[in-house]
Amino acid sequence: MSSEPIERRVSYIGDRLRGTRCGVCGKEYFRKKDYCGNCGRRSFGMMQDLDFFFEKGELEVCTFVNEPTNKFTKFGSFIYGIVSFHNGKVRVPGRLTDSIIKENEEIDLSKFEGRPLVPRFRRRHAVEKSEVIPTISLAFTFADEYYPHQKYSITKPNKEYEKPGIVGYGVYTSRFRYKEPTIERAVPFLDEDAITAAVEAGKMALIQSGIDYSLVNKVYVGSESNPYAVKPIASKVAQVLKLGEEDKTEGIQYVDAIDTEFACKAATSVFKDAASLVYYPENHDAYAIVIGTDNSQAAPRGEPGGELDFFVGFGGCCFIFGMQDVIAELEGWHSCTSDTPDFWRRDLEPYPSHGGRFTGDPAYFKHVAKAASKLMEKLRLQPSDVDYFVSHQPNLNFPTRVAAQLGFKEEQFLPSLQVAKFGNCYSGASPIGLAAVLDQAKPDDRILLTSYGSGAGSDAYSFITTSQLPEKRNRQKFTIQYQGENPHIEYVDYTTYRKLKTGL
Amino acid sequence: MQPRSAIIGAGRTPFGEHYEKEPEALVEESGLRALDSAGIERRDLDACYLADYFLPFTNKIGLEEGFFSELLELHVPMEITRCFSSALFSASNAIQSGRYQLVLVGGIEKMTDRWDKIRDDLMLLEDPWSYYAGCTPEANHELMLRAYIKKYGIQDEDLEKLQTALAYIAVKNHKHAIKNEYAQYQREITVGQVLKARTRARKPLGMYDFAPVSDGAAALILASPEAAKTYTDMPIYILGSASATDYITFSSREDRTSFIASTLATENALKMANIKLSDIQIAELYDQSTMLEMVSLEDLGFCKRGTAWMNIYDSCKDYKGYYLVNGRKLYVNLNGGLKADGNPLGATGGAQVFEIAKQLSGDAGERQVHIEDGLQYGCSLELEGFGTKAYVYIFGRD
Repeated sequence: MSSEPIERRVSYIGDRLRGTRCGVCGKEYFRKKDYCGNCGRRSFGMMQDLDFFFEKGELEVCTFVNEPTNKFTKFGSFIYGIVSFHNGKVRVPGRLTDSIIKENEEIDLSKFEGRPLVPRFRRRHAVEKSEVIPTISLAFTFADEYYPHQKYSITKPNKEYEKPGIVGYGVYTSRFRYKEPTIERAVPFLDEDAITAAVEAGKMALIQSGIDYSLVNKVYVGSESNPYAVKPIASKVAQVLKLGEEDKTEGIQYVDAIDTEFACKAATSVFKDAASLVYYPENHDAYAIVIGTDNSQAAPRGEPGGELDFFVGFGGCCFIFGMQDVIAELEGWHSCTSDTPDFWRRDLEPYPSHGGRFTGDPAYFKHVAKAASKLMEKLRLQPSDVDYFVSHQPNLNFPTRVAAQLGFKEEQFLPSLQVAKFGNCYSGASPIGLAAVLDQAKPDDRILLTSYGSGAGSDAYSFITTSQLPEKRNRQKFTIQYQGENPHIEYVDYTTYRKLKTGL
Repeated sequence: MQPRSAIIGAGRTPFGEHYEKEPEALVEESGLRALDSAGIERRDLDACYLADYFLPFTNKIGLEEGFFSELLELHVPMEITRCFSSALFSASNAIQSGRYQLVLVGGIEKMTDRWDKIRDDLMLLEDPWSYYAGCTPEANHELMLRAYIKKYGIQDEDLEKLQTALAYIAVKNHKHAIKNEYAQYQREITVGQVLKARTRARKPLGMYDFAPVSDGAAALILASPEAAKTYTDMPIYILGSASATDYITFSSREDRTSFIASTLATENALKMANIKLSDIQIAELYDQSTMLEMVSLEDLGFCKRGTAWMNIYDSCKDYKGYYLVNGRKLYVNLNGGLKADGNPLGATGGAQVFEIAKQLSGDAGERQVHIEDGLQYGCSLELEGFGTKAYVYIFGRD
């Protein structure tokens, strides 16, 4: 890395907040150092890696930036300061993100200083559309606000299951919301996108599952709003979350990372692939990660495709699959597909179009109902055998109607309905529904998940929860309910919502 | 006192916005004035040491030495450095070593030609890691002030006094600049204006706390002490010179309420000059912000740590033209400082030395300081980046 320009080194070290500690005197550095300035030659080979990614810092001093440098002008104004870690052993520069400072708002810097901060993974600054999007974790938010600080500790698994399943999950949506008459929708901050949400969701799942990140050997990221036409989100996730074994000298991760795309079922489609992979006899100790993430796109109201603007949300959802310490075993699956062009986005078009009256029937209803009923038939299940039904949720109406059509009662499907809180999170939509159910299910509950992706297809899965669910669930503070009912949620007006959604 | 080298001539252009002048014109103007005042021809020069930070960016001038060679029609050795003081450092070392007898030291900057990008350039120069976290050229000064307030537990009335003291610095420097025909801002400002700008910006420091971006050039003719006598009766000697360096990333420095580089350079320069700090009567300090003038008074040792604001406050309540420090008069930034004289990076140090040389030789016109026991010693502090490099010079006269 040493011959890289600082701009790229900021990405390598700053994305993950890497540092070094001298094994002789304990001095710490925010960057890679082969020796310690205090100890000189004695410290060669004695330097230990440090990582502040999961840590809590403190805002030591700060100031208000109202005239940013050129690349930061889109932020308008923000608080910038020095963040200290380990009681001041290491200090890093940082921008406070997730805050919209109003023009007449009084700023008392002493109210910010001394408070705990958590590193957030964000876009670094604006660049030209043709350039690589720079990212950084030198963006922070207060740990006593929306996004709590949570420790990540690796827990040694103690039970291997016969069937593969979910060993942990995490959901990330933003602090900003826009209110419609019947639903609320999550709105990304300026520096957020599908990539940053994927990383945050993955971070949450690591925290909850306690798995060893170096044992992950496959990561799938499903999205239809990747800011790149060509360049995977999964590679960024793999590098920032250090998935798989890390080759430090070469700066690579021994993990397979791949993006998938199939409208809103890009992530659920590969649940079975992830499960099958860890079921492979030689791979029982490994984990596979699936993330569904979207900054769901919609044209502005009044423009063609603007109908979607009433429903689109923002968020990411991550599931970790494995054979050890499973919280929901995969009982079976069934998928269906047809070439139904109910919703599409042509290359180079910023916003999707949809097929109007055909988006419900024959698109959504037919595929969801077929996949679900086929799976139930295969597993010889009646609706009463299912404790929770989760389906893709582009709005409130569709999932409610399809649940009734399949014979499910309100208590079976209402717990999964999160679209009214976060909007339609596209690839993350039905996964967030599944996470919401896992947040409240009891052991031995059967969950039927049916996703839907325009274009069109559905994946139905049956999961059976295990006795390990309640314990693992307790490790996560940043639950769906926490994000849905957080006192620090900030509602924005329509202009701000469009501006935030467009981003840097 | 052992003179190391001698200034025998100095020239400068006005600082400000010179959109009508090409860099060549500024270099020529300052160079010719310096040569004139020394009474030498450019062909007498043994070498040139020149300073600029951004000419390759602002004016797309690549190999500056060649550009100067063509301009001066000279083929002597030429070296480029960033700040003027660093060019002067190399020049005086070369003269001290006996290699050259007559050397031109010059500095130029045309920052306003890149008005839309210069803040990014400055920030990338002074602290690239912080730049990528969102830092601005102003933010580090403000963080230093916040850290200072916190470290010394300054609050309530004292905090108000400190804030007023910083405003006084800007007001004082503008006052000095009125008598400086070269200064960018030859007008007075009020404490009210300084404070109002801070309120408007909602920041600890406002527009009037910071030096502007400027265009300008400055030049000196440096000679060996022996050669100097043949050209002038009043050479101004460089008695001490020293520089020191600090980490580029502000947040990783041990102490964020002072510049260790300034302190180290001062100690070494004084040692070399073999005089005491209290012998210094006039000082040109690097007031890129009012905060830096305050902190420099502590870094150089004129004021005790954490107390400079009290000296400034007391001296400026009813300003008599100098700071009263430990019962002694200390004249600071007589040309108006960077704040009012202007700050064309490569030339800034030249204007500082120009001022000291003029004052010591009694040639400062309306600005001339009169001291009963006679004006003997002056010093200058120039910084590169945000305290990343510090150059301190001790000047004296016969």
